[in-house]
Amino acid sequence: MFRQILYTQWKWSGLGVAAATLVAFALPILSVQSAGITEPTWLDARVLLPEMEAWSRVYPALALAIGLLAGTMAWTHDHRGKHVYALTLPLARWHYVLLRFGAGLAMLVVPIAALWLGGVLASSMAVIPPGLQTYPHALALRFAVAVVLAFSIFFAISAGTARTAGYILAIVGGLLVTQLLLGLSGSSTNVLGPIFDRMVTLPGPFEIFAGRWMLIDV
Amino acid sequence: MSNAIETRGLHHRLGKNFEIRELSLSVPSGSIYGFLGPNGSGKTTTVRLLLGLLRYTRGSVTVLGRPIPGDAPRVLARTGYVPERPHLYSALSVAEAIRYHAAFHNSWDARRADELAQRFHLDGSVRISRLSKGETGKLMMLLAIAQSPDLLVLDEPTDGLDPVVRRDVLTALLDYVSQRDATVFISSHLVHELERICDWVGVMDNGRLVAEMPMQTFKNGIKRLRVADAPSLVSDTPFVLLSREPGDGLGGGEVWVVRGWQDPMKQYFDGVGAALREVVDLDLEEGFVELLRTFRAPSG
Repeated sequence: MFRQILYTQWKWSGLGVAAATLVAFALPILSVQSAGITEPTWLDARVLLPEMEAWSRVYPALALAIGLLAGTMAWTHDHRGKHVYALTLPLARWHYVLLRFGAGLAMLVVPIAALWLGGVLASSMAVIPPGLQTYPHALALRFAVAVVLAFSIFFAISAGTARTAGYILAIVGGLLVTQLLLGLSGSSTNVLGPIFDRMVTLPGPFEIFAGRWMLIDV
Repeated sequence: MSNAIETRGLHHRLGKNFEIRELSLSVPSGSIYGFLGPNGSGKTTTVRLLLGLLRYTRGSVTVLGRPIPGDAPRVLARTGYVPERPHLYSALSVAEAIRYHAAFHNSWDARRADELAQRFHLDGSVRISRLSKGETGKLMMLLAIAQSPDLLVLDEPTDGLDPVVRRDVLTALLDYVSQRDATVFISSHLVHELERICDWVGVMDNGRLVAEMPMQTFKNGIKRLRVADAPSLVSDTPFVLLSREPGDGLGGGEVWVVRGWQDPMKQYFDGVGAALREVVDLDLEEGFVELLRTFRAPSG
């Protein structure tokens, strides 16, 4: 049963996940190569760290993209058939949702493993200036948590009705429009800033996306 | 005789203008029950209520002896369903769709599935999105039958199919039923089709069950009578008078459409001073139309 669910999910989003896997594998290697360090000197640390920081913004973006892809694609075909097929299978609804969620998680193992492998490979290739260290395992772990979090959120939103998605979009859109109107009226009130800060700083749920995503750090 | 499907006082509102009202139907085990009704009468909504896809606001539903929606998974494990519109995943091939469906049904009959795939000339490698309407209908029937169900719920299974495909699909259905003594609940507005295969009939109109009876009773009991010298007021008839209209002029008199007719009832006309000129059998479609006409006529 699970194998068949996983198979259908792979069929629907496999191409996207495969592409994301390639990117996840290549990212750490590209980040190290772009720094172009050939000699391990103290001075090179000042070149390498900003370079790593620049690349560190790509990892959470990739995690979000993978979560979005896998989360939404898990339900696309059921939505098309108005869930009639899923609802007429001899399973409790929670069981079916759990199978789809589990299949999505299983698929995510591939890009996470690719990033870990790429990180380990990049670390072994890199010329590390004194005082710096590589963190391929920590980076992969952070990536895994972020991907699973993004997947869970998008999976839950996609599982709902169009009305639920509409409510969420309306709230986000409403906040953006409010901020825009305040800006146009010359007010210095910041509506989005505090909300954003609450979300991305501990104990906010999205702190994982805002932390340090460094393959090489002090 | 126990009932494979039983609803009592079922109520469900769909939007602002349509509701299923006080629906009480009984589908005897082992029967082929034709669920008739014009488009928009509530057939598909009823089917969805029976399978737990929709929630009712009042009443009760029991399918194969178990309550719906409470025991829906167990009931669905023994129920083959062909929906009105194809619901399969279009990105899968025929073979993949069969494997997928089989994985959820413990009673899956792989040999029967292979036989039906051959009989229906279904190519396993073709994607579902590329199947014709007829092929999709055949595939859905294959999936429903190969899970070896005790109950088949078919919602307009042959609607839009050409006569050859329709025959293939119905033959496969009847073969299965004859071997397994399964119950079939088949919803359709194609009256002639049901007339050939059903032994029970239920008629829906505007969210209500208008009639439910054995097919033979329905077909035999509805007659068109040509009556001369009919009294202006009619009461205490031994049959149900569905309609009365002036005759076409040749024979004069009136044309009555009645239900529950039996030959000894001819004597009734002598008693009221009228003359019964002719008794005409109506086929199911004519009976169905007359029934709906009576049902929809304003009372009084």
